[in-house]
Amino acid sequence: MNDHPPLKIPARLEAVAQLADYLRASCADAAVAPQAAIDLELALVEAANNIILHGYAGRSDGTIGLLVRQGEGVVELELTDFGLPMDDGQIMMCRPFSLDDESGRGIQIIQSCIDLIDYRRDAGVNCLAMTKFFDPPAPTDILSAG
Amino acid sequence: MTTITFDGNMAVIKVKAGRLDATAGPAFKADLQSHLNGRANRALLDLHDVTFMDSTGLGVLVSLLKMLGKDGALAVAGAQPSVRRLFELTRLDTVFRLTDSVDAAREALSE
Repeated sequence: MNDHPPLKIPARLEAVAQLADYLRASCADAAVAPQAAIDLELALVEAANNIILHGYAGRSDGTIGLLVRQGEGVVELELTDFGLPMDDGQIMMCRPFSLDDESGRGIQIIQSCIDLIDYRRDAGVNCLAMTKFFDPPAPTDILSAG
Repeated sequence: MTTITFDGNMAVIKVKAGRLDATAGPAFKADLQSHLNGRANRALLDLHDVTFMDSTGLGVLVSLLKMLGKDGALAVAGAQPSVRRLFELTRLDTVFRLTDSVDAAREALSE
């Protein structure tokens, strides 16, 4: 797996687009399948919003770290923060979709977009790892794209 | 970030922001609330310029549908791939009428 340099942003909603921009650039560099890149961005933004709104819950001094790792046909995102921990099993909890709810879809979207999700808290640091698999482009596709 | 015009009881809403997310969503919702205020029961939402939407933006669209009333209808024109994917993941593509063009959305709302 290749690691891109980590990115750290202030935990504010208006800074989340920086994470998305960084992810998009990383995916473009590594010829990640467009559908996988879309799913990764959707999941990343929902996860970051959750950290800001629930993990830091109004604190203005928080930060969020993003590490993007890429291998053949796989991208792993690792988000770190120092906010409140998630409840046990929350990220894997199955909640029914309700079409007329105006909020509460974030975790469902993450689950739908991501193939492997792992959350752990270690020494006050929350770490959310999200892995997405995709069919790598054939070598001829890479050559013609370049 | 939004222009809202009226064609009879149809609101035509053009979102000019590239991202309809947790940052832009609350202002967009406030715009809708202040302009619609019972004036429309159908809405044509032009999302051609929106390249990304998150669950907050989606929630505003659900509120927009509620603002239109019990028999309200909402058609979305020009959803980009990421936005269309969000509609599909959340099954809201079964609630909103997704069309490629403003004309097609207008036609869907006139049915």
